Order: sequence, then C-alpha cells, then structure tokens
Amino acid sequence: MTDPKETINIENVVASTGIGQELDLQSVAMDLEGADYDPEQFPGLVYRTQDPKSAALIFRSGKIVCTGAKSTDDVHESLRIVFDKLRELSIKVEDDPEIVVQNIVTSADLGRQLNLNAIAIGLGLENIEYEPEQFPGLVYRLDDPEVVALLFGSGKLVITGGKEPKDAEHAVDKITSRLEELGLLD
Amino acid sequence: MSDSTIRTYSSDQRQTDNDETVSTPDEDVLTCPECGGQVIDDEEHGESVCVDCGLVVEENGIDRGPEWRAFNSTEKDEKSRVGAPTTNMMHDKGLSTNIGWQDKDAYGNSLSSNQRQKMQRLRKWNERFRTRNSKERNLKQALGEIERMASALGLPKEVRETASVIYRRALSEDLLPGRSIEGVATAALYASARQLSTPRSIDEVANVSRIDEMEFKRTYRYIVRELSLEVAPADPAQYVPRFASDLDLPDEVERRSRELISNAQADGVTSGKSPVGLAAAAIYASSLLTNHKVTQSEVSEVTDVSEVTIRNRYQELLEATEAAA
Repeated sequence: MTDPKETINIENVVASTGIGQELDLQSVAMDLEGADYDPEQFPGLVYRTQDPKSAALIFRSGKIVCTGAKSTDDVHESLRIVFDKLRELSIKVEDDPEIVVQNIVTSADLGRQLNLNAIAIGLGLENIEYEPEQFPGLVYRLDDPEVVALLFGSGKLVITGGKEPKDAEHAVDKITSRLEELGLLD
Repeated sequence: MSDSTIRTYSSDQRQTDNDETVSTPDEDVLTCPECGGQVIDDEEHGESVCVDCGLVVEENGIDRGPEWRAFNSTEKDEKSRVGAPTTNMMHDKGLSTNIGWQDKDAYGNSLSSNQRQKMQRLRKWNERFRTRNSKERNLKQALGEIERMASALGLPKEVRETASVIYRRALSEDLLPGRSIEGVATAALYASARQLSTPRSIDEVANVSRIDEMEFKRTYRYIVRELSLEVAPADPAQYVPRFASDLDLPDEVERRSRELISNAQADGVTSGKSPVGLAAAAIYASSLLTNHKVTQSEVSEVTDVSEVTIRNRYQELLEATEAAA
C-alpha cells in the first residue's frame, strides 16, 4: 500500500498582491503585449505568463490576483514577471510587494474505492454534505486544518481552502486516520 | 391474538412482579425484566405482557381513548366533545375559531338575507383578524405552499406536518431573511420527504415549486446545514415502488429491481451515483429480465432521468449482479 500522502499533487495556487496605485487599465492593455481586457466581460485585465504557466488578473485598484500556478514558488516567479512588465511600462512598483497565498487546491488518491454512504453515516451526517442527486462527491469540512475535502467513490479526493501546502498533508492524514478508525478503508 | 396464554400465566405470576414493574416505562420498546422478551400492550385487559414468557409487566393500565363509541359520523359528531387535534400545518395550529359557512342559526333554521349579509361581513373580518400581522400572513402563505406542493407530489400527512415543523424552525432561527418563502418551503418539504423515507427527486419537487431549481438546491443545502437536519442519503430502493407503479409494472419487476440495487450496493458501485438514476436503471433492467419490457424512453419519461444515464447505470447494475452470482 502506498502512502496517500505521496499522491498529493498541487493543482492550483491562488495568491493576491497589489502595487498600491490605481491603474488605467485601458492604456495598460494597449501597451502590454498579450493582455486581455474586455470590461464588458470581466472588470479586470488578464495577463497570462507562459513559464511558469499562470494568469494574473490586474484590477483598476492596483490589486493583482494570480491564479493557475502549480506551486507557491511559481506564484512568486510569475508575479515577479508581471511586476517587471509593469515596470517596463514605467509604472512604479515597489521592490517586493507582499504576496499572500489565498487558496491552494490539491488532489490526492486513497488508492481504493470508497463507500460514500457508509462514510457519510460514519463521519456523522452533521459534519458532512453528501447529496448524490446533486453532486457525486462527499463534502467534508475539517476544522483543523480549516479546509474542505471532496471525497469521491473512486477513492480520489480534492482538498481546497488551504493556505499552505502543509494543510493538505494534515488533512489527508486526518481523513485517512478517521476512515481507518471507522474501518471504512479496506 | 395471544389472549389464552396471557390468562394462564398472569394469575399466578402477578404478585411476584408487582414490585418489578418500574422498568423504565418511557422507552418505546419494553423488554421483559424476567426473560428479556418483547413486551406488548394487551388493551383488552389493560395489561402489558411479555410475548415470550407471559409475565404481566403492568396491570390496570389507563385507557386514554374516548369512553364512548360511535358507529357512524353523525353519532361521532354528537358524542365527541373535542375538536380536531392541533397541527403545525396551520399558521395558528388550528386553534382559532371559524364562523361556519352554512348560514344557519343554532336551531338549524336558515338566516334571513339581512342576517346572511351580516354574517358574510363578520366572516371576512374574522378572517382578516386571524392573520393580523405580516409574520402570520407569511407563515400562512408558506404553509399553504407546502400543502399545495405536497398534494401535487402525493405526499402523506406526516411529511406535510414534518415539513411545516422544519419551516417553523427555520423561521425561529432567522434563516428566512435573504431567502424566499417559497424557496424555504420547498426545501423543507424535500427534506422532510427524504427524512420520512418517501423521497421525491429534485426534479419532481422543482417542477411543482414556484422557484427555480438552482435556488431550491441552494436553499435546501443551507437549511440542512443550519438546522443540522441529518438527512441520510436516499436509498434508490425507496424510489422503486413509485416508478414501477407509474409504469404499470408488476410486483415481480419491483422485487427484481430491489435485488439488483442491493447487489450493486454490496459491490460498492453506487457511491456518488444519483439514487434516482440507479432506481430508473434497476427498473429498466428488471423489466427486461422478467419479460415485461418497457423502453428506455418510457422509463426516462416517468423518472426524469436521461436515457444515457439509464444505459450507463444499467450496465453497472448487470455487472455487479454478475459479480455477485
């Protein structure tokens, strides 16, 4: 049996930052190559970096959200690229704006089929949300770490809401030990 | 039923156990203090007796029913001294007074047209007075809505009563602001149907509701979470009898469907699958297996499940049954 923790894979990291000044997105969109700006569709300007792959959403207020990165390092890397691009347009950006990771989405695999019905009863109906008519996954909200886990019949799971990569590991540990306690993991 | 056995044992054992009768009378299922058997109420003799050893656990029980008997509704009306029981299905729990609609006086004579007009006015004002403030008017509307949808879905009285209680709880815990009355009423009805093992599918409920499906689902999840309702996942087998009867299929098909479903559950292929879809596929599969063929589109129409889903679940059910055999 492989350790489910080894199957943990970060799928998406969302972080936010800001350059502390308002922007005229229309002119930024003109000068910045590869920028998408369609205020009818979305109020922010979308700038995609290729390496590492991610998308930065730049807003009029000067706040920037970076999404789509596969690791926290990638987030910092791609935001550095964005800052450099903005500096090229002679927009003042301080040396090291604070970058806050808002959400990390990870996936993992428990390696065997799950009986979600039994798990729903075992974990206590008040702690979970399982509506197979609406969504095939079982939603399990953990208090510590404060994340939300989606468990699927295939044994795969998605952990979202974590602020650092460690949260996902703790959550997987907690879930496997809870399920083992209940004898639902074999 | 077991009258004869009761009589033979009770006479000689009565004295010995008089002091042992304190065995927790509040529990739903009593067990015999001597042998642990099941204790039943023998209403004819006013005793609680053990089915196995015949021990009389309690005697001289009080009959709380009426002391009169009536053989038809006229007699019942004459003899009964009480009104209808209180119910949560009415905004005033059915406790307020109504002015009769017959336009007759105490002697049964018809009223004069003058008097009739006066009574009509009084009735109107009485009705307005009954629901004085907006809170009561809203509650009345919500409970009326629950009643209407439950009728359309053919849900029994217990479900309506439970739905009304859930709605009242939501109201008292301040969950209504920001949500529509109809939405909460629909969610309460769906939840109570699920809790009482007579589930209706989301589509069915959404079809008779005045709100759209997304809002209904959202409100349902919110209500369940906030009130910690503990709604267990619906069992696909609970949908089977209704679908089978809608399709005019015999008991044989129903039985076979249950088998298929329990096989699939034992095999563990039902996790995360919609119970309605599973029930539909089980009906389709068992109708083929028992030579009462219905088409996928017929099943699809009755169950609100797409033919593609029926085909996919159908394969899985048959594979699970093969694995079990």
